[in-house]
Amino acid sequence: MLIIQCPVCGAEGDETDFHCGGQAHIARPATSDPDNIADGDQRDYLFMRFNPKGLHFERWRCDRGCGKWFHAARDTVSLEFKAYYGITELPPADVMKQATGQWADFFKQATAGRPAAKKAAKKTPARKTAPAKAKKS
Amino acid sequence: MSDAVYTSPLAHVAGSRDGADLSISISEVSDRGMIDLRGEAGSVKFRQAAKAALGIDLPLKPRTTAVKGDMTVLWLSVDQWLVCCPRNKAGVLTDKLRKNLGTVHSLVVDVSDARAIIRLEGDNAREVMMKGSSIDFTLPDYKAGLVRRLVFAEIAALAHIVTDKPCVIDIYVFRSYADYTWKWIEATAKPAATIGLFGAGSQ
Amino acid sequence: MTGKPYRLPETAAKGSRIDRSKQISFSFDGAKMTGFTGDTVASAVLASGRRVMGRSFKYHRPRGLIGLGSEEMNALIGVGEDGRKEPNLRATQVELYNGLTATSQNRWPSLDFDVGIINNKFSRFLPGGFYYKTFMWPRSFWEKVYEPFIRNAAGLGEAAREHDPDTYEQMHVHVDVLVVGGGVSGIAAAYAAAASGKRVMLADENPVLGGVADISAGDIDGFSQADWVAARSAEFEKSGNCHVLTRTTVVGHYHHNYVLAAERVCDHDPDLLARGAPRHRLWKIRAGKVIVASGALERPIAFANNDRPGIMMASAARAMVERYATSPGMNGVIFANNDDGYLTALKLHEAGVAVSRVIDVRKDVPSGMADAARAAGLNVQAGAAIAGVETGAGGKQITGVKIAPYAAGRGRVVNEEKVECDFVAVSGGYNPVVHLWCHNGGKLRFDDDIQSFRPDRHGDPITVVGSANGSFDLKTCVEEGFAGGETAARALGVKPARSQKKPAVKAQGTGPIQPIWFAPATGKYNEGNKHFIDFQNDVTAADLELAQREGYESVEHTKRYTTLGMATDQGKTSNINGLGIISDATGKRIPEIGTTTFRPPYTPYSFGSIAGTKKGELFLPVRRTAIFDWHKKQGATWEPVGQWRRAYCYPQAGESKQDAINREILAVREKVGLLDASTLGKIEIKGPDAAKLLDLVYTNMFSTLKVGKARYGLMMNEMGFLMDDGVTVRLGDDHYLMHTTSGGADNIVAWLEEWLQTEWTSLKVFVTPVTEQWSQFAIAGPQARTVLDKLDSDIDLSPEAFEFMSYREGTLAGYPVRVFRISFSGELSYEIATPSGYGRGLWDALMQAGRSEGISAYGTEALHVLRAEKGFIVIGDETDGTVTPHDVGMSWAVSKKKADFIGKRSLDQAFLASEGRKQLVGLLTTDPQEVLPDGAYAVETVKSAPPMKMIGHVTSSYFSPTLQRSIAMALIEGGQGKMGETVSFPLEGGKTVEAVISSPVFLDAEGKRQNV
Repeated sequence: MLIIQCPVCGAEGDETDFHCGGQAHIARPATSDPDNIADGDQRDYLFMRFNPKGLHFERWRCDRGCGKWFHAARDTVSLEFKAYYGITELPPADVMKQATGQWADFFKQATAGRPAAKKAAKKTPARKTAPAKAKKS
Repeated sequence: MSDAVYTSPLAHVAGSRDGADLSISISEVSDRGMIDLRGEAGSVKFRQAAKAALGIDLPLKPRTTAVKGDMTVLWLSVDQWLVCCPRNKAGVLTDKLRKNLGTVHSLVVDVSDARAIIRLEGDNAREVMMKGSSIDFTLPDYKAGLVRRLVFAEIAALAHIVTDKPCVIDIYVFRSYADYTWKWIEATAKPAATIGLFGAGSQ
Repeated sequence: MTGKPYRLPETAAKGSRIDRSKQISFSFDGAKMTGFTGDTVASAVLASGRRVMGRSFKYHRPRGLIGLGSEEMNALIGVGEDGRKEPNLRATQVELYNGLTATSQNRWPSLDFDVGIINNKFSRFLPGGFYYKTFMWPRSFWEKVYEPFIRNAAGLGEAAREHDPDTYEQMHVHVDVLVVGGGVSGIAAAYAAAASGKRVMLADENPVLGGVADISAGDIDGFSQADWVAARSAEFEKSGNCHVLTRTTVVGHYHHNYVLAAERVCDHDPDLLARGAPRHRLWKIRAGKVIVASGALERPIAFANNDRPGIMMASAARAMVERYATSPGMNGVIFANNDDGYLTALKLHEAGVAVSRVIDVRKDVPSGMADAARAAGLNVQAGAAIAGVETGAGGKQITGVKIAPYAAGRGRVVNEEKVECDFVAVSGGYNPVVHLWCHNGGKLRFDDDIQSFRPDRHGDPITVVGSANGSFDLKTCVEEGFAGGETAARALGVKPARSQKKPAVKAQGTGPIQPIWFAPATGKYNEGNKHFIDFQNDVTAADLELAQREGYESVEHTKRYTTLGMATDQGKTSNINGLGIISDATGKRIPEIGTTTFRPPYTPYSFGSIAGTKKGELFLPVRRTAIFDWHKKQGATWEPVGQWRRAYCYPQAGESKQDAINREILAVREKVGLLDASTLGKIEIKGPDAAKLLDLVYTNMFSTLKVGKARYGLMMNEMGFLMDDGVTVRLGDDHYLMHTTSGGADNIVAWLEEWLQTEWTSLKVFVTPVTEQWSQFAIAGPQARTVLDKLDSDIDLSPEAFEFMSYREGTLAGYPVRVFRISFSGELSYEIATPSGYGRGLWDALMQAGRSEGISAYGTEALHVLRAEKGFIVIGDETDGTVTPHDVGMSWAVSKKKADFIGKRSLDQAFLASEGRKQLVGLLTTDPQEVLPDGAYAVETVKSAPPMKMIGHVTSSYFSPTLQRSIAMALIEGGQGKMGETVSFPLEGGKTVEAVISSPVFLDAEGKRQNV
């Protein structure tokens, strides 16, 4: 039973007060160009997911609290939350840097040609560093 | 035609329980009107219009309340509040809010009938809450004025700590769950089941 | 079997736990017995002279008491009668009360004469892995022969078959420091941590704190350990920040320091139970820091037939004498490989229990304890081991032991000496209790000094102190505990408010232990010698060796093959000994073998505590509409819809359910009916982009809907599959009211929020669920308008003023209402919503007004038949999460104009656009009276036996009283192109039903009836 803290309202609670929305940062092809989507791209969007051992990036909702969605970086081995950040944001730069494998590739592409990525991550107002495990409010 | 007949969610459970056979007293709060207010907290226009209608600033800090006279505004989310007022004033207040907000992006709905409110009163109230939810109501933050949405007895609920001494907690649940919640509290608040956590509430 | 009573006179042993002035009576296997307040069932039964307390799992060998507390694996009993019976309790933990009923387990017909003992005779055919070897073939034997045999022969106690009358509950708490185990280490930890002012919880599975302090040597702060413990307990009681839980076993440690602890609130006190206290309470604890002070368990030694009644752990023998003044027998021997056995020898000797020999495996016995024993006149024999046990009374009591010189690694024994005795106290050293440490990934390392595994690393905020950490001497135990408590408080960022003085300990040092994993016997295994390793599962040294020979090299494989360390015992006493045997057999060192996984729970806890308050009428949350009491009074039968209870139908006197359903349907078709549709999901959607949002979530267009008008909408998920439907009304330019299915109400609100928050973040829309604000009724039938016209209203209900698919707001009979002219029955119909508090009042008014028109309330089944007659789909009946709008013939509702909406692109994916998908059709059975079962399969060709190619299935099937025949809907491969064809549905029992494919609209295809 994980303890999670919502970066939007600050509520901390059991996993059962939250809802996990699966992998983060999946772009919906139809939102940008609904008329030009290859079958393969639509398939990947619907079904292909990362399954990393280690640092993972997920969507969560403060289901029984403020109702808002947010992002979390979570280690799938230690189950430690490394960071919480806004639902429209990329992870904090220092956490993004720790990503490996498919996530590392993903963030490399996502930040390519964006020198401001670091700065943007820094000024994310909603970002909170995960509290030490099991620390109480 | 006769006047409209009103039936409160817990009208079928006779009156309030004075606690003779429970460790706390429980009762239904049936005279409270509720208005669900949605709007952008960051919008000055929205906040001003709401204040003009309510006569009070909306609470912006998570899990807090604002009180004025017979009105209490509960923070529900960063863009949602529950305005509580006497039931017979809810309609007028709803109209006033809508009128004041005008074209400001917002949604005002009279939800006076959507929820049932059960009042828990007594030293053991916090303990009863902790038997039904993963939140620890004996922690220092959990003092009068706090409002929190939570899972209580497996259902979505809203808890509002009204006063500390005596301890009064209002639980808001959706109307359809009123009977279940009432029975759940009755089953859990038996005097012999009192724990007296950290020596609290023990004689 | 009865023996001598073994209660020692008060002059010889006081019995620190018992009160001899308070005698209580209880029964064991029907025999009346007496004991004292403070006794356990184990001590009282033993004191009565009974040795055999259970039969073993596989061989049904008679078994006696072995342990001291929760590690007991033989003396398992059922306590209580009827619904209160709880099986598999450890007799060592069950506190005696007046009238207690205990029964032994796994024996038939009686404990003393058990038929299953025959398994022991045939034990050479029941080696390790016998389940796998014996019961594999022939396959047909499994269900009828093997499984019943195993179920009868094996197993532990039997669960009660009656309803449990007691209550259970759960409690959540957040603490700064949780100390697990109330022995001296744990107390020292709590003592130091509580001084910081932080919230400390101390949990211990025994009735009183102290662990083995009362039967151990050494002083703390100049007090006896027992007095020191009592003083600290009193302080905790008063502290206000240290909550002590006794009779509470911490059963599991999980992620983020989530801890489960099972408290036995009333098991010792029937009066408390009668006053309404919960029998058990499950604690769900969040701890900032966990300090494990779970102690250590004495381990047995594997010698031939070491399971005979009368052979017990030395610490247990000592506790029996010191706590309960109960002697394990008249004349015993001590068998040890360490100094602790001597303490038992001395304590027994002091209490007047004859100890004829102290057998020490070690050749060079350290002085100290051994000298004290010799000084007391005890016969100490060094460098020796027990080679066998002599028994009488069919193995139910021992008469002596055979002693032989011991040298590690030697196989068979030749010289042996026989010593008469009736009990043996065994001390094979101590194993730290590392279960909790390991539950969430704590690592262990093997320590040669203690010849056991001790805690090593852990990723969580958890520490371990005292003997659980492998520190067995008193001084280290106390100091580690104290330091652990201080460190925990400091780590939580507090300076101690007051600091406690570190307790000063005086205790004698102890000598080293010599490992002994196997004491050789004079015969071979198969000549009646069994060296038990896991007593509970009847696993012997030979089984483990066999497993190695058969190639089960991984210890995890050995565990599963032999059942070592499984079941309720979880290897508490068997784990290390088993590894020792494997080590000897394979030549690998124990750390190379590793341990098996320690899983929660540490000890079993009751299903009652897991269920907590959630039983009976609180088993699941039940949602009631405002009309619930009316439905109930009318004798409604119920249909669960999600958590709602909806009226299914209203049988009147003499009516069957089917009669009632038919009557309700015909009332709607011919007169007028009233349905409680309050459970329908209702969502207010408002904002400048509300229309845009609806166009994105529905397959059809809503931005074109005129204010005051209603439109039926279909919702897909991103995969193109139908997920919800309903009528949405435009209340204003930027304001809609969406109706969803009853089951989908909560999900659709969350669905809209998710898209608004995560994808279309620039859309300005607010969404507020109002399902519970409104009671909503459908009044349907040719007379619907006539009935409404009788009630005062400011709404003009005439067909010209209030058209089909439109909406009005106003009052009706004095009630504020929203009226929707929509129809799910195909009849003239209005859905009327009023705030829930007025729901019952308006319902009564409508029933009253409709009386002369013959109004009838109708339930969900009538609703379903009415809609099926009209060919309307129900999400979840006609759809199952793999069905598209095209599949159900609703392509008309899929917009071709909109560039994007949820699921649109997926409809073009090859799989969904392919030919031959199952399509919704109607079915008319060739025999009109034959109603197809829901879910029946249509096949291509009927054969005498499966497999047959399935080409579709029935999604809804009813008898239509309107049409006086059966109707059904089905999804059939290419069905829309097969109109008029006959398909076959082979049913159970060889019967085949044939049906003709038709349009799913069975009644009024033109829609004349609803539009009048």
